[in-house]
Amino acid sequence: MLKIIIEREIKDIVSSTKFAVTFAVCVILILASFYVGAAHYNLNKQQYDASVAENLRQMEGLTEWYSVRQHKVFMPPQPLAALVTGISNDIGQTADMLAGSQVITEGSRYNEDPIFAVFRFLDLEFIFQIVLSLFAILLGYDAISGEKERGTLRLTFASNLPRRTYILGKLIGSFAALSSSLIVALGLGCLFLPMMGVPMSGDEWIRLLIIAGSGLLYFGVFLTGSLFVSAMTQRSSSSFLLLLVAWILAVMIIPRASVLTAARAVEVPSVDHIANQRSSLASQLWAESRDAMTNFKPDIDDDDPEAMMKIGSMFSQFMDSLGTIRNDQMSEFSDRINEERFNAQQIQQNLSFNLARISPSTSMKLATSNLAGTSLELTKHFRDETRAYHKVVGDFIREKTGMNPHGGMIIKINDGSEEPEPIDPSELPSFEYKPIRTATAINAALPDIGLLALFNFLFFTGAVISFGRYDVR
Amino acid sequence: MINEISKQPSPMLQTNNLTKRYEDGVLALDSLTLEVNPGELFVMLGGNGAGKTTTINLFLNFIEPTSGEASINGIVTHKEPLEAKKHVAFVSENVMLYQNFTAIQNLDFFSKIGGHSDLSRDDYRDVLNRVGLAEDAHNKRLKGFSKGMRQKCGIAIAILKDAPAILLDEPTAGLDPKAGYEFIRLLDSLRSENKAILMSTHDIFRAKEIADTIAIMDSGRMIMKEPAANLADQNLEELYLQYMAGHDTKAAG
Repeated sequence: MLKIIIEREIKDIVSSTKFAVTFAVCVILILASFYVGAAHYNLNKQQYDASVAENLRQMEGLTEWYSVRQHKVFMPPQPLAALVTGISNDIGQTADMLAGSQVITEGSRYNEDPIFAVFRFLDLEFIFQIVLSLFAILLGYDAISGEKERGTLRLTFASNLPRRTYILGKLIGSFAALSSSLIVALGLGCLFLPMMGVPMSGDEWIRLLIIAGSGLLYFGVFLTGSLFVSAMTQRSSSSFLLLLVAWILAVMIIPRASVLTAARAVEVPSVDHIANQRSSLASQLWAESRDAMTNFKPDIDDDDPEAMMKIGSMFSQFMDSLGTIRNDQMSEFSDRINEERFNAQQIQQNLSFNLARISPSTSMKLATSNLAGTSLELTKHFRDETRAYHKVVGDFIREKTGMNPHGGMIIKINDGSEEPEPIDPSELPSFEYKPIRTATAINAALPDIGLLALFNFLFFTGAVISFGRYDVR
Repeated sequence: MINEISKQPSPMLQTNNLTKRYEDGVLALDSLTLEVNPGELFVMLGGNGAGKTTTINLFLNFIEPTSGEASINGIVTHKEPLEAKKHVAFVSENVMLYQNFTAIQNLDFFSKIGGHSDLSRDDYRDVLNRVGLAEDAHNKRLKGFSKGMRQKCGIAIAILKDAPAILLDEPTAGLDPKAGYEFIRLLDSLRSENKAILMSTHDIFRAKEIADTIAIMDSGRMIMKEPAANLADQNLEELYLQYMAGHDTKAAG
């Protein structure tokens, strides 16, 4: 009996104009998102390669490693980030390695191309979040109430057909019919990636597969939700209205309201506040350094012919030690206030996410962005990666020069007796960015995937209960 | 005597003090007791709100009785609805089928959920020919079908179910005279196949033409029930109006 209902549902949906239009729009949008994603990836890759080359070029001709002031590292473009952009375009993708004791990221995509900040990208997340959910409602709002209005429900239930079988068949049939169109579109979209030269590793394909699965689960939430509402209402117009309100709440209101609520509940010091605190400490430390410099009195015999050379060397060492002390104090203070801010941010963020998870839209966003490696975790991950590299570069410079790379003023006196050798930039340890690991990404996404499955189950259970009491006349 | 009793057919459709009062207090059916035997065509006459459709809805367990019970082939419908519905086919006043499906596809679906998965396209064609649906309409989508064509599909679905009981809820309403006549002939042939048929209608003339038993219903009560043969010499329309007037007077009194 179930098979018969499933077959009928599939045939009924597939032969409808509504489905034909939905299928066409889905295919076009999904293909467009893959094409645009692949094109952006290639463009970003070119820009990345150019930036890395330019970075090395700036070191050419330098003769001292401590003269390297403009060493930057860049976040390499990731194929999945092109398909699910997440926050990858919002965060700084460049980090200055030698400007000071702090690693500051800059150069976000939206900063460079503000137009994209206004309209955002047509990525899979957008298509899932907005388009698929609306299509699910459009195709499911009259699943029960529409059948009643069309009069088919009465004749159907004049047969010895259990209601649970009917509603389960309807769900499976409609899900199969509609998801098949999505799977076809996603499959075609995937062909764009190798065709356009986007290198995808095995792990990335697995992640993309789970992203598509999450999208289908999210689609299922709105489909079961539509079935549920349709089984509660006697008229399809009422069902559509209720679903539209629910959609606005779930997709537009709840995520934003959650952020605002969390922001009011947990206070996080602003970046400006942190910067002011650091600036105050820096001023204080510089004042102390200046005092120390004023009192710098090297114990050198004035008659010594190499007195100037020795003073220079001692002053450099003195400045280096001052710089190290200042740097350590700044680092310790920065780490502490950053950690305090980070902890408060984490509390606020967790509260915000947990509140927003009332909406399946949030769960889908979090699941897909975690899987694509473009969630909020990316900010921390890139910062950690650049900090680790910052230390490696610091050690390298120290090893090469015997000095702290952030020591501030360096006095070098060249008596002209030897021609300085240019440095070899290839000696500098290269920045090997390691994307967020697949296991980490999947683990981070699992709770939200589980929530989406739970929403499906709850809505379907609701639909079964409602339909059990439905007046089929 | 014992032999005579054992030869009497047991009723296929039966109600026993069947009562339905809706939540808003409206008494839709009041202690209805009736029996329809195999090979009998029982016609319920009555105006709107008389309780005819409520009776059919109770047989199909679309609503639960307030008291009493309806049974099909001895199975109480509100206790074992799925089992009871195996023994009944239904044709409504306005047969609505899947518009995107052809007549044959609709027959295929409804006969399968009615428990007949073994029917072929030839079986569907045969039954559609039997009900008088033109050959060229068999494979057309129902979108362009007239009411008469849809009713023919509905009765074809009922025939394919091959159930011993058939419920008809004003099936000739809105049909043109030719379609109405063809429909009545079909009922006659179904009756000859020993089906127990319960039909509600406003159509007094068709009722007199085809019924074995005629009942008049008003305000949820059966106010008259007679074998049609007893009414052969009477003007049924007059009788109907007399009964209705009498019942109104009683009710007013």
